[in-house]
Amino acid sequence: MTVTGLIGTICMFPLRAIIAACVALRIHPNILTFVGVLINVAAAWQLAFGHFISAGVIMIVANIFDFIDGKVARELHAESKFGGFWDSVIDRFSDIALFIGLIYLYSSLRRTDYVMITALAMMFAIMTSYTRARAESLITKCKVGFMERPERIVLFMIGAFTNRMAAVMWVIGVLSIFTVADRILYTYRELKNAQPEPVA
Amino acid sequence: MKKTVTLPGRILWNAFFWTYDRATWQYDLMVIAILAFVWLTPPDWLGDPTASGPGPLGYLADLLQR
Repeated sequence: MTVTGLIGTICMFPLRAIIAACVALRIHPNILTFVGVLINVAAAWQLAFGHFISAGVIMIVANIFDFIDGKVARELHAESKFGGFWDSVIDRFSDIALFIGLIYLYSSLRRTDYVMITALAMMFAIMTSYTRARAESLITKCKVGFMERPERIVLFMIGAFTNRMAAVMWVIGVLSIFTVADRILYTYRELKNAQPEPVA
Repeated sequence: MKKTVTLPGRILWNAFFWTYDRATWQYDLMVIAILAFVWLTPPDWLGDPTASGPGPLGYLADLLQR
């Protein structure tokens, strides 16, 4: 087993208990998704004022909700197309909220360089999700590129807990650019290899 | 004509144009590389607005210079 696989397995133990509690209480997964974004806004607020440790703790709580909503939906047999759509849309709000918190912090510190780096990281993070969503309306799957949402969230937490947010913004920014490029290239190749569409 | 790609070039290409799943050894290596960059790069080198000091790599560089 790999190190990251082992960490994932260990994290699943408490999460299973939380999922079981939500299923027992029959909490609707869409409500869990919405509560997740509200807690993420609180984390963004803490980031905006430079309270990184409390932001990190709040992010953990928020992302428990983000993580369990799909699993609770499956357990309750409450999966729906709208649920998937709602989850994706709310996830984008959560992502953007955290970046805006940091942009506020850096602008209040009069660091326009990091305002720009964070804004670019935010732009490419959103484009990472958009390119995949748009690609998968044309091809069956476009799951390439490293910097997806779980990686971004874990990096945000690492940056917050160890006060290394600047380095984290560089990593998210650069790897998101490559992820977007990767998805564009992959979609181009897949479409090129596909059978030509008949002319209408 | 067949194109030859060097090993470092292929490693870089595979790192940036990523196709591996999570929980693979390649994923573990990427995580280690990212954590090394985040934790070992001196905040001063990046002009970090919230953290300061040389960080572990800076301390090491200072130690070697002495």
